Amino acid sequence: MPLTATVAHARDARGRRAGVGPATHAGPTRRRRPRVRFTPYLFIAPGFALFALLIAYPMVRAFQMSFYDWQIVQGAASKFTGLDNYVKAYHDPIFWRALVNSGAYMALTVPAQVALGLAVAMLLKAKAPGRALFRALFYLPVVTSWVVVSLLFQYLFADSGLVNYGLHDVLHITAHNTSWLSGRWTALFAIAALGTWKGIGWSMMIFLAALQAVPRELEESAAVDGANTWRRFRAVTLPAIWPAMVFVTVMLVIGGFNVFISVLLMTGGGPADQTQVLLTYMYKQAFTNLDFGYGSAIAIVLTALVFVLSVVQMRIMRRTFDDGVAP
Amino acid sequence: MKRVRVRAIAPVAAALCLAAAATACSSSNGGTSASGDKAGASTAPSAADTAAANTPAATSSSSDDAKPVTLTFWGTYGNGGNKAQTDVLSGTIIPAFEKAHPNITIKYVDIPYDSLLQKLETSAAGGELPDLIRSDINWVPKFAALGVFAQLDGKMPDFDKLSADTYPGSLATTKWQGHYYGLPLDTNTRVMISNAQALSSAGITAPPSTFDDLKADAPLLKAKKISVFADKGLQGWTLLPWIWSGGGEIANADLTKATGYLNSPQNVATLQMLVGMYKAGEIPNLLIGNTGATSTQDGLPKGNYATILDGPWMHDIWAAQYPKFQPTYSPVPSGPGGSISVVGGEDIVMTKASKNPDAAEQFIAFTQTADYQIAMAKTGQMSVVKSLDDQEAAAVPYFAPYIKQLQTAKPRPAVPEAPKIDTVLQDDLTPAFQGKTSVQAALDKAAKDIDPLLTATK
Amino acid sequence: MTTASVARVRVAVPRYVVLIVGAAIMVIPFLYMLSTSFKAQQYVLTTPPQFIPHPVTASNYTAAWQSNHFGRYFLNSVVVAVVSTALSLLLSSMMAFGFARFRFAGRELLFRLLLLGLMIPAMMLIIPQFVLAKYLGLLDSYGGLVVFYVGSSLALNTFLLRGFFESIPMELEQAMEIDGARAVTRYFRLILPLSKPVLATATIFTFLASWDEFAWALTIINSPEKRTLPLAIQLFQGQNQTLWGLVFAASAIAVIPVLVIFLIFQRYFVQGLTAGALKG
Repeated sequence: MPLTATVAHARDARGRRAGVGPATHAGPTRRRRPRVRFTPYLFIAPGFALFALLIAYPMVRAFQMSFYDWQIVQGAASKFTGLDNYVKAYHDPIFWRALVNSGAYMALTVPAQVALGLAVAMLLKAKAPGRALFRALFYLPVVTSWVVVSLLFQYLFADSGLVNYGLHDVLHITAHNTSWLSGRWTALFAIAALGTWKGIGWSMMIFLAALQAVPRELEESAAVDGANTWRRFRAVTLPAIWPAMVFVTVMLVIGGFNVFISVLLMTGGGPADQTQVLLTYMYKQAFTNLDFGYGSAIAIVLTALVFVLSVVQMRIMRRTFDDGVAP
Repeated sequence: MKRVRVRAIAPVAAALCLAAAATACSSSNGGTSASGDKAGASTAPSAADTAAANTPAATSSSSDDAKPVTLTFWGTYGNGGNKAQTDVLSGTIIPAFEKAHPNITIKYVDIPYDSLLQKLETSAAGGELPDLIRSDINWVPKFAALGVFAQLDGKMPDFDKLSADTYPGSLATTKWQGHYYGLPLDTNTRVMISNAQALSSAGITAPPSTFDDLKADAPLLKAKKISVFADKGLQGWTLLPWIWSGGGEIANADLTKATGYLNSPQNVATLQMLVGMYKAGEIPNLLIGNTGATSTQDGLPKGNYATILDGPWMHDIWAAQYPKFQPTYSPVPSGPGGSISVVGGEDIVMTKASKNPDAAEQFIAFTQTADYQIAMAKTGQMSVVKSLDDQEAAAVPYFAPYIKQLQTAKPRPAVPEAPKIDTVLQDDLTPAFQGKTSVQAALDKAAKDIDPLLTATK
Repeated sequence: MTTASVARVRVAVPRYVVLIVGAAIMVIPFLYMLSTSFKAQQYVLTTPPQFIPHPVTASNYTAAWQSNHFGRYFLNSVVVAVVSTALSLLLSSMMAFGFARFRFAGRELLFRLLLLGLMIPAMMLIIPQFVLAKYLGLLDSYGGLVVFYVGSSLALNTFLLRGFFESIPMELEQAMEIDGARAVTRYFRLILPLSKPVLATATIFTFLASWDEFAWALTIINSPEKRTLPLAIQLFQGQNQTLWGLVFAASAIAVIPVLVIFLIFQRYFVQGLTAGALKG
């Protein structure tokens, strides 16, 4: 019996598959329309009002700041400079380097965190002795403070640190000690190692929650139908947790571009601005050089970039399981 | 329909009530401000003041000696679990001041050093500044130019007398466009600290006292796998002792031009000396900012490095971490310009937004007395007052080499864009060390990049 | 042993090996932090690394706890984190329900705005938020912390919860609707109970975010007695040197509540909450 039949059992009366997609299909009956008009707004209003006041309004102000040579002292007149700050970013080689570094960091950390987080979640979803302990152990890096772990990883990757000790003295893989934190790409690798290590527990948590919603009967009937683990995963589990997958990937991409403290504390953006990422560069411009207009411009560019990326990502990913048939 | 409305409103109302309660709870704390005081005439900017109001200068006349006043003082004395300093401050110094000035109460707030600059900036933007700040010397010109710190000369009684008694190098850090915006509070400088054992293992009996000594000692130490010298980064704090001792300057006396000064032949020679040693492996790549290299703090006691330049705080640090290590102190190696080091430290400043300038000035004057300076000296903060030199040396013997070095030490360029100058030095000079450009070309570029920064006001 | 149990062992053993290796990698840096917290300053971060502290000392922990008002800061953090988490969960689950279950004008626009708020670096918002907080009278107060923590977490939680709410089968809700249940009833009686796993996740995350938050607390808190823990821990870092043993000890103490919250809420990850409902 083909797998599609198994999955088809899960479709509801209206032909929509359970577990996927927003409630956008075949609309509600005419009877519901009048009630729908107010209820959603009532649910959304309090939270959104708070958001609008505390986040959206400051966002607008920050956007505004990027068009000025903004003076921090209250009452001082800021000069309107139009797009100057953005043009400055365009011509700034360090800005582009920071952009590439942020992107590289993201590319290094996101796939690893998604794959490993999911793998661990799969291993820890079924009831087994020690499950709670393992979950806690994998979550531990997530709760440890960034300051502490950045220092620890700086210590690990130091010229005379544990990693070199392991690679050179114990395993004899490298000929001599690598100076991890003095080169752009080796330092980014070390920082990405930290980011991945710290993030696996986070995505594990999300996937664990998602995996709970996968009806066990589906998996069992697929097994009975003779599907092996991988086919079961692809046909039953993956579609069922797809919204979580979308969420995790989008959030990790956002987080990847927003990496800040670990870079600040491990390399300080150095040496000579080699490992600057967008946020550390933004912080340097705004808080060290007191150039808030330029800092805001960098932040806006980062936000726009991440936003576009996320929307594209969500479009592509949302569509993957929407066309009715299991891939 | 009505039932839906009521039901839906309930959680909404609950949330709003909670938010309102939270707001009410907080505003009943008394229109919080950075001055934080709840007593008397010193009115804190209340919630009613809109963000548009800038400096509330109108009420300054209220800071009479008669009316009780509370001054807020932000500092970093307690950082690092350093109880010694905060204990002296709250146990000895502040009570002494409050006894002499019964109407003034000092409220000291400890802020983490790494975040103090950020907090000052956000507070300035929000108009929530304290009365007094123990400010890093590098920040004074910047905030003076912004109008955040208050001018003291011509306004504070006794200013001329007090300032004349401070180290010239330290006083110069508070100067901006001909006026002074603070007084030195504590100072420090760098001297050469060496590991006698490391030196003697290469047959060297005394720390290098001149540039030539350094050059001669380097290969001997390298043979023993010891670096002759180590330091971190190429910013002014690291580089300027060498430049000045080498007879050069970073800019002209008015601090308006770097070209012709930074790229002078003397500086080229000095830097060439350092680059030569770096390329020969005699100075580690900690110098160009490798955070993975062993720090000077660890490298010297362990014998990886023979000499470093560092400040008086290392005495207590090594006592705790490497109790068996006996450092040797000597002056900065002298070159054609003599032995000249760089001045560090903190200044005490008053904010323009302070409602109690007279009271604040009284406290500032108090910080220049022996009661304050010597008490703090005993906890590791070097005194800034020249006339207290002997007292200080008697109270804290290990300060002696630093006091001597301070007599000729100079400050880094006191301009608003000082941090950017450090960035330029790092970025433009690193290629010379990596062999990517010549020393002259690197210095030429750095000078050219620094020229506009010296005259920029921000 | 039966074939079935042999097969089970065959699956179980490699599974456990992988888990143990993975857990070890996750935990080793943390263990090193713990071990360092029991060392005196001179043995901190030495090379070669020393895993077992020798000599062992608990002085860092006593020093951290007895330092100025550490217990008070701990309590402040607890109160702020608990209140922020509760409020945030309430408001964001309401918003997620609205976005997930209804069609209305401007729905995607509002949601995209929410997402945009998620993407802007928080550091750049600090100054406008500070001025706003001053205007609202929220400076130097717990309320100021709570209100802004809630506001900052709404976007993430709503995003997370919406995805999960959408995956709850529509027919369960329709059944309730046909029985005459209003939206609020469906929200409280159906959606929330079925979403326990994701609500537990959101609770854990929001608590952690509020517990660890530093930049905003630094900005608005001026009175020492209102400090939260991250601020207190950063004060252990010195201007010229840091007693890392002390910082690690304080950080270890600070980790405890977060772990407690985690252990409490992770038991809500129970599979099959929706399965039974489907059959019925």
